[in-house]
Amino acid sequence: MAKQADPIQTAARRIKNAAKTGKPCKPIRDLIKKGDVDAAYAIQTLNTQAWIKEGRRPVGRKIGLTAKSVQTQLGVDQPDYGILYADMEICDGDEINAARIMQPRVEGEVALVLDEDLFDEQLTLVDVLNAVAYALPAIEVVGSRIANWDITITDTIADNASSGLYVLGTKPVCLSEIDLRMCGMVMENKGNQVSVGAGVACLGNPLNAALWLARKMVDVGMPLKAGDVIMSGALGPMAPVAPGDAVEVRIAGLGSVQASFGI
Amino acid sequence: MADILKLAKTVDDAAKDARAIPQLSAKEKITVEEGYAIQSAAFSRRLARGETQVGIKMGFTSRAKMIQMGIDDMIWGRLSDGMLVEDGDEIDIKNYVHPRAEPEIAFLLGAPLPYACTAAEAMAAVDAVAPAIEIIDSRYKNFKFSLADVVADNSSSSGYVVGSWSSPGPDLSNLGMILEINGRPTQIGSSAAILGHPARSLAAAARIAAAAGEPLQEGWIIMAGGATAAEALRPGITVRNSVQELGFAGFSVKG
Repeated sequence: MAKQADPIQTAARRIKNAAKTGKPCKPIRDLIKKGDVDAAYAIQTLNTQAWIKEGRRPVGRKIGLTAKSVQTQLGVDQPDYGILYADMEICDGDEINAARIMQPRVEGEVALVLDEDLFDEQLTLVDVLNAVAYALPAIEVVGSRIANWDITITDTIADNASSGLYVLGTKPVCLSEIDLRMCGMVMENKGNQVSVGAGVACLGNPLNAALWLARKMVDVGMPLKAGDVIMSGALGPMAPVAPGDAVEVRIAGLGSVQASFGI
Repeated sequence: MADILKLAKTVDDAAKDARAIPQLSAKEKITVEEGYAIQSAAFSRRLARGETQVGIKMGFTSRAKMIQMGIDDMIWGRLSDGMLVEDGDEIDIKNYVHPRAEPEIAFLLGAPLPYACTAAEAMAAVDAVAPAIEIIDSRYKNFKFSLADVVADNSSSSGYVVGSWSSPGPDLSNLGMILEINGRPTQIGSSAAILGHPARSLAAAARIAAAAGEPLQEGWIIMAGGATAAEALRPGITVRNSVQELGFAGFSVKG
């Protein structure tokens, strides 16, 4: 009898191959049970292990699906996460090479940087507050290895939560200096307003998202560590970007961060 | 040529009696200019009933909304003391046709702004700012109208709630704004959605009001325009607009 290919491995290879070749692939949902989130994370984890083996350095996590509207759209009631690697970081104001990211879209977010590990069981908001060294304004450039962003919840989870690149502002702000629930967010592309929102759009407060992540990471045996960057989730609707665009995100109390896209 | 006084009575009666009417433009063509003449005449009927003008409201202050409506300037309407809903008060939906709430920022003028001015000059005349809610309520069936129709109908203005005033200290360009229904966020935005900065809306108000021959006066309240989409009101709900740095304003709808 011919050996059956493991669907988890097949899916992981499909996505990794798309990432390496820059050619979007079919969704992977045909390979696993509909809505099987555990299988989707198993696919993501296979690729995480493979990437690390190839020398990529994990530096934190991104949280996705933090807006009620997006959760409803994908038929889920909780966020998801992906791994941030050092090579995904773009410096404030730098130009992003279009070849770096597939089917890019941008989001304005709060990034949280930890200076303590978060490994305990039953973590609380206070644990998170104590572990956050500072916050930064951030642009997340999401991308999808799945052609035409034809994603269900399992496709995006398997694809490292549709992560792409991230750009951080450079002036750290202590949590006591900012109201993360009420802070306004405006994103402009070449000076035109393309997205507005506020901290509350991210699960009620970006810190709620961070707590969800911290607990989840303990559950799955990959606890957050001192130095980790948390991209906590969009504060407003995502916006498309094209070569030649220049994006700025401003978050009240956190300042601004910019990225441009090469032609 | 439209019969301004007759049409003014039609929209004013509809507002007074909380009754939906067909669009004015369904019967005869009216221009935007005639729309403003009808609004003015309809507002005069309020004044004749003993109400006083206390300011103006700006509408279509987001570029998205302007593009959606196919227009290139804002619209405005008049605010009377009779339209004020006290912060924390209860309204009866029977007094409205199909009301909606929009989170806004209100300006209180400490000096007149009688001419077109810059945003900086406009802010210099501001005595205080407050979180606010506008209760918009088109008197037209299904909230459907042409530009001239909505202008004639006081730009859908029907009521307004103003929270605590504070001195215009904070940077108003990007304040988070949350419209909550029964304590749950239903619309989330930023003051940046108001023309990029609410002060620009105030400067536009000064320009438009001066051009209309009714310059902005000291003591007037200027509602700068919606920061998000409007939420439909229904009996029994509590509505609140929270604005970063400024606090909140709210009201409830009788069950």
